Amino acid sequence: MKKFQLGEFEEIVMLTVAILYDDAYGVSIKKEIENRLNRSVSVGALQSALKRLEDKDYLESLDKDATQERAGRPKRYYKITALGKEAMQYTKETRNSLWEAIPSVSLDVKFATL
Amino acid sequence: MNKPNQISPPRWSLKFFRWFCHPDYAEDIEGDLFERFEKRTIENRAAKWLFTLDVLKLFRPGIIKPITGSQKLNNYDMFKNYFKIGLRNIRRHKTFSSLNIAGLSVGIASCILILIYVNNELSYDTYNSNYETTYRVIHYYGQQGEAPDYTSLPTNEYQVWGNAPVAPAMQQFFPEIDKVFRFTSDASWLFSYNSITYSESDVLFADSTAFDIFDWKVIAGNPKTALERPNTVVLTPRLAEKYFGSENPMGKSIIMDNQDPFEVTGVVEVPTNSHFSFNGLISMSTFRNSRPQIFDSWGYVDFYTYFTLKPGTSIEQVQEKVPEFLEANFPNDFNYHIKFEPLSDAYLHSEAGRQPGPVGSMGSIYIFTSVALFILLIACINFMNLSTAQSVERAKEVAIRKTIGSHREALIYQFLVEAILVTFIASILAAVFVIFGHSLLETISGKTLPIDWLFTPQNALLALGGILFIGIAAGSYPAFALSTFKPVTVLKGSFKTSSKGIWLRKSLVILQFSLSIILLAGAAVVSSQLDYLQKYDLGFDSEQMLAVDFGYDDLVQQKREFIKQEFLKHKDVEIVSVSRAVPGDFFPNAGTGVADPVSGEIVYKGPAIYEVDEDFIPAYKMNMVAGRNFSDDFPLDSANALILNESAARLFGYPNPADIIGKSFRQWGREGKVVGVVEDFNYVSLHEDVEPLSLRFGTRFNVSTISVKLKSDDFSKTIAELENIWQGIVPHRPFDTRFVDQNFNAQYESDERFGMIFTTFSGLAIFVACLGLFGLTIYSTSQRNKEIGVRKVMGASITQIIALLSRDFLTLFIIALAISVPLSWYVMNSWLDGFAYRISLGVEVYAVSALITLLVAFITMSFKTVNAALSNPIESLRDE
Repeated sequence: MKKFQLGEFEEIVMLTVAILYDDAYGVSIKKEIENRLNRSVSVGALQSALKRLEDKDYLESLDKDATQERAGRPKRYYKITALGKEAMQYTKETRNSLWEAIPSVSLDVKFATL
Repeated sequence: MNKPNQISPPRWSLKFFRWFCHPDYAEDIEGDLFERFEKRTIENRAAKWLFTLDVLKLFRPGIIKPITGSQKLNNYDMFKNYFKIGLRNIRRHKTFSSLNIAGLSVGIASCILILIYVNNELSYDTYNSNYETTYRVIHYYGQQGEAPDYTSLPTNEYQVWGNAPVAPAMQQFFPEIDKVFRFTSDASWLFSYNSITYSESDVLFADSTAFDIFDWKVIAGNPKTALERPNTVVLTPRLAEKYFGSENPMGKSIIMDNQDPFEVTGVVEVPTNSHFSFNGLISMSTFRNSRPQIFDSWGYVDFYTYFTLKPGTSIEQVQEKVPEFLEANFPNDFNYHIKFEPLSDAYLHSEAGRQPGPVGSMGSIYIFTSVALFILLIACINFMNLSTAQSVERAKEVAIRKTIGSHREALIYQFLVEAILVTFIASILAAVFVIFGHSLLETISGKTLPIDWLFTPQNALLALGGILFIGIAAGSYPAFALSTFKPVTVLKGSFKTSSKGIWLRKSLVILQFSLSIILLAGAAVVSSQLDYLQKYDLGFDSEQMLAVDFGYDDLVQQKREFIKQEFLKHKDVEIVSVSRAVPGDFFPNAGTGVADPVSGEIVYKGPAIYEVDEDFIPAYKMNMVAGRNFSDDFPLDSANALILNESAARLFGYPNPADIIGKSFRQWGREGKVVGVVEDFNYVSLHEDVEPLSLRFGTRFNVSTISVKLKSDDFSKTIAELENIWQGIVPHRPFDTRFVDQNFNAQYESDERFGMIFTTFSGLAIFVACLGLFGLTIYSTSQRNKEIGVRKVMGASITQIIALLSRDFLTLFIIALAISVPLSWYVMNSWLDGFAYRISLGVEVYAVSALITLLVAFITMSFKTVNAALSNPIESLRDE
């Protein structure tokens, strides 16, 4: 059975939060994903993904740092929880085990002409 | 926050975001939005739009705040609790609850019933798809001489009843007019099919365009052609059933007036909410064939003209061209003018005279609506009074709830939920009352009141809204009052109902009783006015006067003298007269010229016309004030004599009736001398003053009624014997009789129905008010239980105690009287102003209604006060 649910976009968000380590908040996560993966991310999609992950206890958040450019609003920083880490690990491992199970010939384009 | 010269994000999208966003996330997401916005403003001109776009993209399930609020669980349980407590309270205080529910349900039911009635009144003619674009012509027939200023001529100088040629002329002259339709005033016809013969009233001649304008329900026949050919008739389903039973009436022949066979070309049903109605329609071409000259005469008045406008045109365009139209078409014999009246005004807002059917009154609609609201208000006041009166019992509950931590709002909600619960139960009961009351209301209003329009989803929602509204209206004061109690005072035990509460309760009782007295006095005034009308000396005597209607039947007219003689031979017959119509019937007006008192020139006016014989005036016991009656001694009376009433004499300029005798007159092709003046008698309605009237000798072709004065004890026997005589002379004609006084009084039917409805609902209002009073008496007696016990022990008599308990109410009652009498006096006086002959408002009316209210109130209270006064003091004193 599925032990951990993690969608594709959710996984990207988790990974990005991990990459940014202690600078992971809304705007920076969005920018990071857009830069690294060259895909555009809407605020809405990102925020609802973050809320979902928080609900699943994969992320935890902390308000701090009200800055002038944010008109005095706090930033909400996200951190990966232990459960989140496990979930990422699990996803990675399932992927890996699947990759390993692929016979090398299967991906050889030359034979895929049936 | 921002530097002054910086642009800020669009306010509305920000507001929207703050509104929908989950409060937990709002701040930081807003921060993100601001940050992105700030960065964009440097590089991107469309930053504002992009900000709004971001906001819109955030509008998604994960981020929108939940509808239920963040404390969903808690609220839900509390509501459950309110319901439970509410139901328990209703069950525990059975008396109060049933008083409340009874009052409210009667109030709601009255409101719904009156709504049904009012809705029916307002729905008149709306079934027509051309409702908005249909108009009718109203005519002004003035005397010869200088034309009045038509722009300022009041509408009540006009009449709906008009001439025939105006319709085709208008159709030709005004390009804006689409369809034109005429019908004539109703007449009685003799219908025969096989062996079935009846006289049918309300049969009209109608143009073939009838169905283009009115959407009557066509059951059989082709509406396009049904009324085209001469000698065709369209029946209502009732008549079709009467003559043909289950046969198909289409194409069958009915012998009309024992002469021509008429082919049945259609069956139509007229909706009950139509401003005129009929039993049958005969094609206008039939009428045209028999009397073609009428259709060119602008002076012959017998037609109602309706027309529709083409789309995109307005009635103002048509009205503007009226002078031009009259110039081109009207032959100028007398002063004549036309105006137009929308179909939507025909039933409720028409001031014009000579209507084709009964008209409603906006005034009664307002009166009924206010009565309904009064009843509901009285019921709501009951609820407020009883709830606040009970407050001492509820105070502990409130205090404990507050101590445990209830908010004031929560308590308000609780009491509102209770009120809504009571209203809900009451409205279910009201629905039952409405089902029973509906048929009763149909009987007293004499109308079919459809209720199917009530059952729509919108109305269900509306009803729900109504329940909430009434619940909140009735429950708001108790809710706010009870929730203010301070727990400390209440729980310490020193709590008493505040004097403010009592003061308010008293003023509400005063209000209730003022309303009750107003309604009761209103009902008393209405019924005594109607009584006055019934008994008013009309100036003629129609008691025991039997009218035999023969609808201008030629054979009967030929044999009129013989029939008169034969009837007179009967021992129960006092006097017999033949005339065109009897008082209360329809009569024509005619251009009548009489020599001017000064110049001697003939001056034309338009008095009403009666066509009578020499026995008419004695038969109806009218008084001659000058001159003489028609007489056999003057054989030429039928050609050259005219009698006027006093009003007509005045109209022609003769204040002294004797002076007009012997003056020349001209009327409808007759010339001669005025021979007599009859005292004014009220031949139309006591709503109006006596109008000028001329009485001419009714020759053959012009009479349709025989009046027979009876002096019998057994009318049915006499009538049966007269019928035998009749059958012996004119067997082809049914003996169609009615009593003139009943007929005359029929015109007060709408007044009477108004009175009935008004009285019924006033009674209900007083009933509801008494329920409240009863509740309050129960309460105040139980409060003073100990006092009564002590007083009795000390030797107070039963009367003293009853007086003690009732005294408070008497003060309130006197105040209520002081408020309601002037108000009611004003309102009822303006109602009475609608009658030309009216009672003067005296003290008696108020004395009687005050006495009734007082009596009913005392009887109500006595159920409890006597009980309390009689009870053994031990009962009330021993529980300490």
